[in-house]
Amino acid sequence: MVAPAMTFLAIFTFYPLANLVYLSFFRYNLISDKVFVGLTNYRNLLFVKKDFLQALENTVVYSFAVVFFTILLAILFALWLEKDSWFNRFIQKSMFTPYLIAMVSTAYIWSWIFDVNSGLLNAALALIDVSPLRWLNDSSLAIWCIVIVSVWKSLGYYLLIVLASLKSIPREIIEAAELDNTPWLRKFVRIILPMISPQIFFLLITITISSFRVFDSVQVMTNGGPGNATDVLVTYVHRYAFQMNMRVGYASAAGSVLLFILMVLTIFYFRFLGRKVHYQ
Amino acid sequence: MAKIEFQNIHKSFGTTKVIENLNLTLEDGKFNVLVGPSGCGKTTLLRIIAGIGPATSGRILLDGVDISNVPPGQRGVAMVFQSYAIYPMMTVRQNIEFGLKNNRVPKAERERRISEVSQIVGLEPYLGRKPSQLSGGQRQRVALARAMVKEPTVFLMDEPLSNLDAKLRAAMRSELVQLHKQLQTTFVYVTHDQVEAMAMGDCIILMDQGRIMQQSDPETMYRDPDNIFTAQFIGTPPTNILGLESESFKLGFRPEAISLSVNPAPDKAFTHRVSILTREMLGAETLYKLRLRNGQEVMARLTDSSLMVGDELYLQVDEENLYFFDSEGNRVRKTLSQQYGAMLERVTRSHES
Repeated sequence: MVAPAMTFLAIFTFYPLANLVYLSFFRYNLISDKVFVGLTNYRNLLFVKKDFLQALENTVVYSFAVVFFTILLAILFALWLEKDSWFNRFIQKSMFTPYLIAMVSTAYIWSWIFDVNSGLLNAALALIDVSPLRWLNDSSLAIWCIVIVSVWKSLGYYLLIVLASLKSIPREIIEAAELDNTPWLRKFVRIILPMISPQIFFLLITITISSFRVFDSVQVMTNGGPGNATDVLVTYVHRYAFQMNMRVGYASAAGSVLLFILMVLTIFYFRFLGRKVHYQ
Repeated sequence: MAKIEFQNIHKSFGTTKVIENLNLTLEDGKFNVLVGPSGCGKTTLLRIIAGIGPATSGRILLDGVDISNVPPGQRGVAMVFQSYAIYPMMTVRQNIEFGLKNNRVPKAERERRISEVSQIVGLEPYLGRKPSQLSGGQRQRVALARAMVKEPTVFLMDEPLSNLDAKLRAAMRSELVQLHKQLQTTFVYVTHDQVEAMAMGDCIILMDQGRIMQQSDPETMYRDPDNIFTAQFIGTPPTNILGLESESFKLGFRPEAISLSVNPAPDKAFTHRVSILTREMLGAETLYKLRLRNGQEVMARLTDSSLMVGDELYLQVDEENLYFFDSEGNRVRKTLSQQYGAMLERVTRSHES
């Protein structure tokens, strides 16, 4: 009964995964023969070349910023929109729309908004007499611009999940807390947060994984620049695998590191945070 | 200890008016039971006292002090919810302690109260457990302990026994009555079950469609109903109500007030020839469904189980067990009304014709 499913898994999941790790031990450019080089690719990646560590650092900063701000804003907006009203439903639906737009389109729109000369943001700054910023061309700002776009795009979707979990808290429990004279913050920390913790935990894992794999927004908006300021792991892999002499073996090593990091993070989440999650 | 007064209370949900201009006083220290069919507004009243579902307009007074705008946690009331609403992520001890911590009760005092309360409700061995590891009855006790530990002036209970099995429910019923005796505070207890209301209440408030139909002690509620609704809601099977031909009033008598005999006795106020339609033997008593000559049906509840379906007999009711109601369904009382005599005479004569 499970044979067809297992076949699919084997062909489309396990084989590519094993092949990725296998290729990382070779020098290979898709045309010439594979040459076994052992851990050379990893040594180059981690100790010789500086650009991989830069990409890794960018990815970590980006991911934690996206995870933190997405979850924080999703919770805050959900608390605000929890009360059912015409206006709140409208806001909630409006916030969901960015999720429906393709990331590439979103990235183009925001590239224009961030444009130094004709962008909306600098125009707005000019109105209040602030000198224009260089946004995507500024190596210290660029990564944060991409964080803003990612959070903006997916917030509506994650908000929906938090909102649904907030609404599933039995009303009596909140009322019991009110009768227990619970201050607002304590009610949130001791009652509401534990009750929505399974959904928050789910968001934590899925947003972390999707952030570590960020590609299209970076590719369209900055192409990793300026310099290496917004280079992330997947743009790094893409560049080495398909642009710079098809260094597939080297790119595979980078991909394997990404895979390893995600596995370690997920295990960490389950080991250390999973315990704090309250399942009903 | 507290007296609760509702003054000109209105409550609506959207465009639906649930309660209109309600005035009610719940006496201090009594076991008050709000009872009525679902949707009658009894839980709404309870939530108004608690402050978690404020009235649309009107005032609520606690010992003469207007608490309409006091937050729920500062009213000195405690509530036991139908679903218990205990905090699932906390242990039993934390559940009981939570409100005390919020009110900054010192630790030594907290410990004393927790051990005292958990002893009363028998939760001592379970203080370290999570609610998911408890049975329904134990969760109910947690909810009760959480309310008791606050030493409130008013206890509010919203159908707290409805999720328990029949045996446990009966046991908890008498435990709650004992608890009330012990604490001597004002209880406000909501139920849809008239048996529960009769068994537990000092004072019953019977409601229907947002109005109070009668407020009295159980005995009066049963023996001296103010209207058809009360007469039929209290007691099982409900009071028989007969519409009489060409009369504007209605006649009522309880199934247990009926006697059946082969020959009519001359001294009974109401006598009517009936045949037995069905018979339900319940053990100590037997329920008979009877059909009158004019086609109306009544229920009788007798200790005699020897009668059989198809038997033709005389139904008889003594005068003191007859209730007369006007066309609006309100009671016409012997002591208050001159109409009473005329009504009685017409009923007594009717079966002879």
